[in-house]
Amino acid sequence: MTSAPAANPTKLSVAERMARLLGVVPWVVEQGGAHLDDIAARFDYPRDQLLEDLEQRLFFVGVHPFTPDTLINVFIEDGIVDIQYAADWFSRPMQLSEEEATRLLAAGRTVLDMAQVSGPAERVDDDEANPLVRALAKLTLSMGSGGEGGVEHIDVCLGHAPSDTLGELRRAIGLQRRIEIEYYSFGRDAMTSRAVDPARLLSHDGVWYLFGWCHRVGAERVFRVERIRALTVTDAPIEVELDAGEEPALGMADIDRTVTIRLAPEAVWAADYHGARQRDERPDGSVDAAFAVASESWLARVLVQLGPQAEVLACDPGIDADLRAATAGRMLARYRR
Amino acid sequence: MDKLERLLNLTAALRNATQPLSAGELRARMAGAYSEDLAAFRRMFERDKADLRAIGVPIEVTTLYRLDPPVDGYRIPAGAYAGRDVRFEPDELAALHLATNLVRLEGGAGAGLARLGGAASADGVPAPVAEVDELPFHDSLAKLVAAAVGRRAVSFLYRGTERQVEPWRLSFHRGHWYLVGWDAGRQEERQFRVDRSSGPVADAGPAGHPVGEGPDPRTVKPWEFGAGEQVEVRVLVDADQSGWACHRAGVDGERRPDGSVVLTLQVRDRAALRTFVLDFLDHAEVLEPEWLRDEIVSWLEAQS
Repeated sequence: MTSAPAANPTKLSVAERMARLLGVVPWVVEQGGAHLDDIAARFDYPRDQLLEDLEQRLFFVGVHPFTPDTLINVFIEDGIVDIQYAADWFSRPMQLSEEEATRLLAAGRTVLDMAQVSGPAERVDDDEANPLVRALAKLTLSMGSGGEGGVEHIDVCLGHAPSDTLGELRRAIGLQRRIEIEYYSFGRDAMTSRAVDPARLLSHDGVWYLFGWCHRVGAERVFRVERIRALTVTDAPIEVELDAGEEPALGMADIDRTVTIRLAPEAVWAADYHGARQRDERPDGSVDAAFAVASESWLARVLVQLGPQAEVLACDPGIDADLRAATAGRMLARYRR
Repeated sequence: MDKLERLLNLTAALRNATQPLSAGELRARMAGAYSEDLAAFRRMFERDKADLRAIGVPIEVTTLYRLDPPVDGYRIPAGAYAGRDVRFEPDELAALHLATNLVRLEGGAGAGLARLGGAASADGVPAPVAEVDELPFHDSLAKLVAAAVGRRAVSFLYRGTERQVEPWRLSFHRGHWYLVGWDAGRQEERQFRVDRSSGPVADAGPAGHPVGEGPDPRTVKPWEFGAGEQVEVRVLVDADQSGWACHRAGVDGERRPDGSVVLTLQVRDRAALRTFVLDFLDHAEVLEPEWLRDEIVSWLEAQS
C-alpha cells in the first residue's frame, strides 16, 4: 500500500461520517462483507478515517441491555470488512429525504433532456433499458408513489432547438470541424451567413448557446441555437481553438447603456421579465425600471409591445430618441402595402 | 463517549424502541453516553437530535401521557426510516452518479447517493463535457415534488394571496421552475413560478382532482389563456423568421412557396397575441380576422 499523500485529504465532519456509515452498514451486510478499498471508493470515505470509524466507533454500538446479541460486531481481516448483528436497526438503508430524492430526480431529468434533444431516433425517455430511466422510476417509487407508470413529476427543458441541430453541433465539436450557419441576429434584426469554429454548447437559463470563433467578425461569438436556421458541418478542420477552461460570459454586466421606463401597473411584469437592473415602486402601483440596453432592436420591441403602458423617462444619449416612433412606422408600412 | 459513537447509539436506541421514549429514559438506556449534569445533557441531546434530523433521520415526537407531568417522547418508526424497500442495480447507481457529476444544481445533487448504496464507480465511462449551467433549487421544490408523488394538496402564498393547489408536475423552463397543477381555489389548471411563492408549503390533505396534463411551460402559448372568447387568428411570418416562429407558436404552420409561413392560432388573450406578433417587428403581420388586424394597426398608429 502506498502511504497517504502528505496533504491532509478532505476531512469529513461528524455528520458526514454518520450519514455515510448509515449507508455503509446495510451495504456491507447485504454484500456479506466487502473490501475496505471498495467501501472507501464507493462511499467517498477516506480509507484511514473509515478504518478508524469501523474499529473504534461502530464496533460495540448497541442497545440496552448491551448483551452480546444486541451489539454490532465488526471484523476486519486482510482488508475485508464483515459486520454482524446489525440486522435490527441498520440492516436496511435509510430512505432518502424528500429533498435528496428531488435533487437526484432533477439531475437525472436534466441529463435525459440533454440526451433527448439529440434527435427523435435517440429518444431515451421510454426506454426501459436505460439505467437512468429505471433509476428515476425507482426514486419516485421510494418517495411513495403508487407506482403508476408514465407520470413524470419533474421535467426539465434545457432549451428549444430543432431536434437535429444540437446533435449536429455536438458532432462538429467532437470532430473539430468548421460549420456554416444561417443565423438570425435578434439584436440587429438581420439574417447572416457565418463560418464558425464551434467550441462548446451551454444551456443557460433554459436556452441553448453555442460558443465559437466567428470567421465573419474574426472574434469569439455566442449564438442562440434556436436562431440557427440552417447548419452545415463542413470537412474543414477548425482553425481557432478557444480556451475550454474559461467560463464563457453570458451576462449583461458589461453593457453600460441604460434606459429608464415608467411601467403602468398592468405592465409591471416587464420589469422581471426583461431583468430590470433597478426598480422603484411608486404609490400608484406603477414602477420605474432601469434596463441594460443590449441592442436598440431589443428596446424597440419592448417599447412597441408595451405601447401606452410604457413611458421612457430617461435614455442614454447613444440611443435613438425617436426609436419607438420609427419602429412603429416601419411596422405600419407592412400593414399598408 | 465520542460524538459519532453517541449518534450511532442514539439512532440504534431510537430505532429499537417499541414505544416512544422520553429523553431521560434514553439517557438511562444509553449508559455513559451523556453527561450526568442535567442541563448539559439536555443541550447535548438537543444538538444530537438536530444533527440526526439534518442528515435525514426521521425522529418522531409524541407526547408521553404515561409520565407525570407528560413530556416529549422520541422514536424512529421503522416505516419512516427504511420506507419502501427499493433496491438500485449497479448500473442504475452509476447512471445517477454520472448525472450528479454532469449537472450542477444549486446546493448540490448527489447527497442522497451514499444512502442508496454508494456511488457505484462510473469508471470507464468517458465523462461528457458539462453542457449545462447551474440550475436553481428552491427549498419548496422538494415539498412540491413529494406532494405530486404522494397525491397531496398543498397551500402556499403566491403574490400575496394564499393558494391551495394539487401539484402534478414541476417543470424547469427558461431558467425558472414552474409548478403545474390544479388550483383548488379557482377550480382550474394553473402554473405557478416556484420562486414567486413565499412562506412555507403546507400540507392541505389528500388531492381529489384527477391528474391532468396541465399547461406545458415548454410550449406555453400565452394567448391561449384568458377570459375572452376564443378566436382563430392567422399570422404571416417571413421565411427567415419562420423557424423559430413555428417553434415558439408550437404549430407547424402552412408553408408558402416563398418560404414564409402562415400560423393558425387559437386566441383568448389578444394582448398576449399582440406581444407575440410585434416581437417579429416588420417580419410578421396578422392576416385575419380583419378587426384584429385593425386593432394592431391602431396600436402602432398611436405610437408612430
